[in-house]
Amino acid sequence: GRPGSGWAAREARRDRSAGGGAPPDPPGDMLCTASENLPWANIARLLLFQKTPEIYSVELSGTEDVGKTDTGDGKEKYRGLKDKRLELKKNHQKEELKKEVDLEDHKLSIKELERKYGTNIVTGLSSTQAAELLARNGPNALTPPKETPEIVKFPQADGAILCWIAYGIQYFNDKSSSLDSVYLGCVLALVVILTGIFAYYQEAKSTNIMASFSKMIPQQALVIRDSEKKTVPAEQLVVGDIVEIKGGDKIPADIRLLSTQGCKVDNSSLTGNLTPSLRTHDNPLEAENPWNKMSTSPVGTATGMVINTGDRTIIGQIASLASGVGHEKTPIAIEIEHFVHIVAGVAVSIGILFFIIAVSMKYYVLDSIIFLIGIIVANVPEGLLATVTVTLSLTAKRMAKKNCLVKNLEAVETLGSTSIICSDKTGTLTQNRMTVAHLWFDNQIFVADTSEDHSNQVFDQSSGTWASLSKIITLCNRAEFRPGQESVPIMKKVVVGDASETALLKFSEVILGDVMEIRKRNRKVAEIPFNSTNKFQLSIHETDDPSDKRFLMVMKGAPERVLEKCSTIMVNGQEQPLDDSTAEAFHTAYMELGGLGERVLGFCHLYLPADKFPETYSFDVDTVNFPTSNLCFVGLLSMIDPPRSTVPDAVTKCRSAGIKVIMVTGDHPITAKAIAKSVGIISANSETVEDIAKRLNIPVEQVSKRDAKAAVVTGMELKDMSPEQLDELLTDYSEIVFARTSPQQKLIIVEGCQRQDAVVAVTGDGVNDSPALKKADIGIAMGIAGSDAAKNAADMVLLDDNFASIVTGVEEGRLIFDNLKKTIAYTLTKNIAELCPFLIYIIAGLPLPIGTITILFIDLGTDIIPSIALAYEKAESDIMNRKPRHKKKDRLVNAPLAIYSYLHIGLMQALGAFVVYFTVYAQEGFRPSALINLRVEWEKDSVNDLEDSYGQEWTQYQRKYLEWTGYTAFFVGIMIQQIADLIIRKTRRNSIFQQGLFRNKVIWVGIASQIIIALILSYGLGSVSALNFTMLRPQYWFVAVPHAILIWVYDEVRKLFIRLYPGSWWDKNMYY
Amino acid sequence: MRRQLRSRRAPAFPYGYRYRLDDQDEVNQNYLADEEEEAEEEARVMVVHDLEEEEEEEEKEEEEEEEEEGQGQPTSNALWQKLQIVNEHLWDPEKRMSLARTGQSWSLILVIYFFFYASLAAVITLCMYTLFLTISPYMPTFTERVKPPGVMIRPFAHSLNFNFNVSEPDTWQHYVISLNGFLQGYNDSLQEEMNVDCPPGQYFIQDGNEDEDKKACQFKRSFLKNCSGLEDPTFGYSTGQPCILLKMNRIVGFRPELGDPVKVSCKVQRGDENDIRSINYYPESASFDLRYYPYYGKLTHVNYTSPLVAMHFTDVVKNQAVPVQCQLKGKGIINDVINDRFVGHSQMDT
Repeated sequence: GRPGSGWAAREARRDRSAGGGAPPDPPGDMLCTASENLPWANIARLLLFQKTPEIYSVELSGTEDVGKTDTGDGKEKYRGLKDKRLELKKNHQKEELKKEVDLEDHKLSIKELERKYGTNIVTGLSSTQAAELLARNGPNALTPPKETPEIVKFPQADGAILCWIAYGIQYFNDKSSSLDSVYLGCVLALVVILTGIFAYYQEAKSTNIMASFSKMIPQQALVIRDSEKKTVPAEQLVVGDIVEIKGGDKIPADIRLLSTQGCKVDNSSLTGNLTPSLRTHDNPLEAENPWNKMSTSPVGTATGMVINTGDRTIIGQIASLASGVGHEKTPIAIEIEHFVHIVAGVAVSIGILFFIIAVSMKYYVLDSIIFLIGIIVANVPEGLLATVTVTLSLTAKRMAKKNCLVKNLEAVETLGSTSIICSDKTGTLTQNRMTVAHLWFDNQIFVADTSEDHSNQVFDQSSGTWASLSKIITLCNRAEFRPGQESVPIMKKVVVGDASETALLKFSEVILGDVMEIRKRNRKVAEIPFNSTNKFQLSIHETDDPSDKRFLMVMKGAPERVLEKCSTIMVNGQEQPLDDSTAEAFHTAYMELGGLGERVLGFCHLYLPADKFPETYSFDVDTVNFPTSNLCFVGLLSMIDPPRSTVPDAVTKCRSAGIKVIMVTGDHPITAKAIAKSVGIISANSETVEDIAKRLNIPVEQVSKRDAKAAVVTGMELKDMSPEQLDELLTDYSEIVFARTSPQQKLIIVEGCQRQDAVVAVTGDGVNDSPALKKADIGIAMGIAGSDAAKNAADMVLLDDNFASIVTGVEEGRLIFDNLKKTIAYTLTKNIAELCPFLIYIIAGLPLPIGTITILFIDLGTDIIPSIALAYEKAESDIMNRKPRHKKKDRLVNAPLAIYSYLHIGLMQALGAFVVYFTVYAQEGFRPSALINLRVEWEKDSVNDLEDSYGQEWTQYQRKYLEWTGYTAFFVGIMIQQIADLIIRKTRRNSIFQQGLFRNKVIWVGIASQIIIALILSYGLGSVSALNFTMLRPQYWFVAVPHAILIWVYDEVRKLFIRLYPGSWWDKNMYY
Repeated sequence: MRRQLRSRRAPAFPYGYRYRLDDQDEVNQNYLADEEEEAEEEARVMVVHDLEEEEEEEEKEEEEEEEEEGQGQPTSNALWQKLQIVNEHLWDPEKRMSLARTGQSWSLILVIYFFFYASLAAVITLCMYTLFLTISPYMPTFTERVKPPGVMIRPFAHSLNFNFNVSEPDTWQHYVISLNGFLQGYNDSLQEEMNVDCPPGQYFIQDGNEDEDKKACQFKRSFLKNCSGLEDPTFGYSTGQPCILLKMNRIVGFRPELGDPVKVSCKVQRGDENDIRSINYYPESASFDLRYYPYYGKLTHVNYTSPLVAMHFTDVVKNQAVPVQCQLKGKGIINDVINDRFVGHSQMDT
């Protein structure tokens, strides 16, 4: 996060005299100067860079050098970390880091630099040199974190090999053996390959989204080569190139400045928000050179020499460091692994069991192996990986529409199981711009509208004091709109100036109209800009009243400083002497506004008497030949970065969804607490220990910690805490705000939360947040304000930086979890119906009811679209009103789900399919009694006169054809019942009729696809012998329909009892 | 799937910080792994135990497997602890619970499943009963799968190659035994006793109720003349003139179309026509007489005797494979089905 003042702009200004003085800077901002005519000597003094890289190493590698290298505050902050990590520290790595970052470059003279890099600052590198270097060092681009695509391995892979081996042995024994196992092997191999390709494709697609999204490297860079200015793609920059940078460019690589012209650079994404406030401009750490790759928005122009490219840049190193932080396995990955364990466990144990049974029943080992394969194939839901991936990516798409860009598909669900959100303040909870929140004049506090468009300013504007105050606000302000934005709404216009002045400018523009015009009418004659010593800003203007020849002096600044200079105060447009009571009123108001966490400014003015200061008077700001005391105090104005209007609602929703929202900010505790209160992170009726102490007027130590629900913890307190204390803190308080934290501490907080078995979401935008983002179960980066490193480390990007989008994400995530449950239940059910035939075949010796290839056609053909269709199912109840699932208790696949799918619906399905099978055989002449133990004769190639129940004799081929008809019949039986299964899986608790049979249209698309695929397989491909389908008599399609209806009725009864007797034995065992 | 969903932890760990995080990670992962395995164990066991009612053996198997695992690494302390946990899960003496259920809970489950499966069984019985109601015991509902009729050759052999050496009885003795056995049912005395002698050249149609017993026509062994084994008990194998019998598969209600009997004709499939030189057919018409049709099914047509055609290869080229193809010829007989060697024709190599 970043402080409200926005970007920590560092400044390297070459020409100090221009404009008559330094511009006002927000306190945290930094100012550096370099002389124009002596580029090197001056820069060298200022550009002590050697510490900077170690700061990064501190923040990201957490090794011992933290304490040594950082200064002041920072040193203390990191001490806690240092101790813990001391023993784990690896010296050589620290050295490696140091070695990689060239510490010397800024110290060298230009001549030495030229020598070192073999370049010339005037002519640049030659093209050949550049090409050579490019070839040697690689392009100037960050290596994306590698994710080696692993080939998906399912038991089929082994199955395929087993099949081929089986065929090999068969072939060896009997040259004419059938090709069935070869086909099967091919199909299995194909399945493995296709699923692999599919997964890889999905992965690649989401990577592509990210790639198109990434703006990490500027497209072009202006470089001097062969004494010519050339535009080359930034990827082709090499060390030693001389680059020119214009305002608005991104720095393409780490460069060492050679000369600058009014150039400012924003490094905030690199340093995080805390750093600027720690630094002062006389601190040598504030070295301005070199500039780092990815720093943005320079103003002015500069020339520099590239000293590091690609992964060797500071940013590249941070990126690789961040990728070194272990990423937790996503909850859905854990769940699916768990599910795979269950399925594999069932498949393998049943497979081996029946292998043993088969062998002990004197089957050939080879046959037994083929049974084993059949059992495993029947048990493994081949289509599930594709289904899950598609389901997740559908949700990801849906979320992208709602401004949540999901980088990692699995993260879609993670947000749903999130139980703690560690939210950044600036930009996420707030609008990320200073806005006038309160005014105080006429002894009264007025509230200004802080909504996104300022449309509704309701305070009393009739008072004479307001007239004066508005004039000061307008005139004592150096910020200006960037020209050419006439059509842009005021709040969206781009302003040149710092955050506070921008706020004031927009505020006055909204209320008074054309500020520029007002300023023109009140010509500015002199000005003292803001600086941190004076803490005020002053300007002198002519008035716009032609009859009034006096000059108007206006001043704004820190309220106490401004008040010191005043002797009168304006009340209701009248000047009154400033007595103790008014001073008291001022202090009360000041404290109150300050207590709201707002930045308060005081305003005063003075009409300079026309006799002493005639029109021709020449004001000199250096000697201050005008009075700066005995002014007239006009009012106070306070500003804050206001919360987004959608946030309080979103926080409430998170609350009711059982998600704890923790604010982690680098900002001041008071501001943090104020924002937390206004968005509901600290709810209206809860108090912190300090609040209670204040209310009861007792020391903080005497307050019972149990009474306080909320806590505001600063980074200073946090660093003294042991992990146990932190755990205690996190469990004891439901509303926690961490203020003044470093990004490092963010990591500690995340770890603390994870120790409580919580699924933690972290929002962040700075480069230094990236370790925490990676560490979190789900890292959420800001799309607008976020740095690319943060976006890279995150699993999800909020395109609108809006906290409310997270809530949408949570909702979608929970829905997808529920729907995945349904999908899996649907998919698992038919496994039993596919498995039973094999078991019966082995035990009772029936002709095989369904072939392995046919099973694959169910798993990968008819069942795919319906199971995806379940992803479109609407929630059964308000999913945002229940607690987040416990990641170790609420499993995706739990015992009731498996048991109900396998032993209830699955078994019913199997029986239904068997009825179809028996019907076909019986009508063709084989009654069920004749089928038992028929297997051996049935499968003998040489038996060509096998008698059926009617005494008819069947040849081997006729039997085979009948067997395939049986396969088709069994397949159709399962398919018909899977339609019923699909419909019952729409809900887990509600009746189908409550949910609406036709609300989810995709389900019907799924059902239609199921039927159409089955029709094509039977009637279209019935003549392809390798597929083992035949044209089935139309009436057989309806044999399983009563069973399908039975399944539906049974499930309705189950749901009815669950609804009638919540918490009962039935509910516990039958609700999945 | 499992690989694919594995953690996305990046491989590179260049700097010191990793050690802390990583160690913790590993602890986490181990913990997770334990947790998962346990859960899996539980789930699997749950499933298995519920399967119990049907497949009790399976559970035993499961337990055996577990025990085997345990014996594999008895020294490992962690494993021992795990086993204890599993054991406690299987039977917790304190709470008197097995698999996290009390005896009462288990009996409730058993009762409920008993009723559930009993009613499922009832449903299936009902279905099968309805099925049988729709099926006639005398006449199959559909016969198109078994048509056209296939042919079968005797002597029965696992392959269709007849290889024998006249001077070595061992090489052809089994053919003779097979043929003798097969022809026992065709003995003249038996046929005369059981079956009627019906007029040749016309269908032996027996009207009347479906469930009436039907009479069967005689097919006497002596019809086969030289191949009957009556005169030459070696069916010509001892003289290098082998007999091979052709039998057409029975199909309920099958009648050769248009009243023409189905004829058998054998010829050399590939190669020299003269390799066979001459074949004698018995009965001399080389056909299956119409009087043997139609067949009324095994329930009522108990003594039905399938007609035969014997082929006597009297002068086959020796020491050379002769592919012979015998085809049935008649209306309604398809004899060129590629997939099936036994529909309508039969091949043999002598």
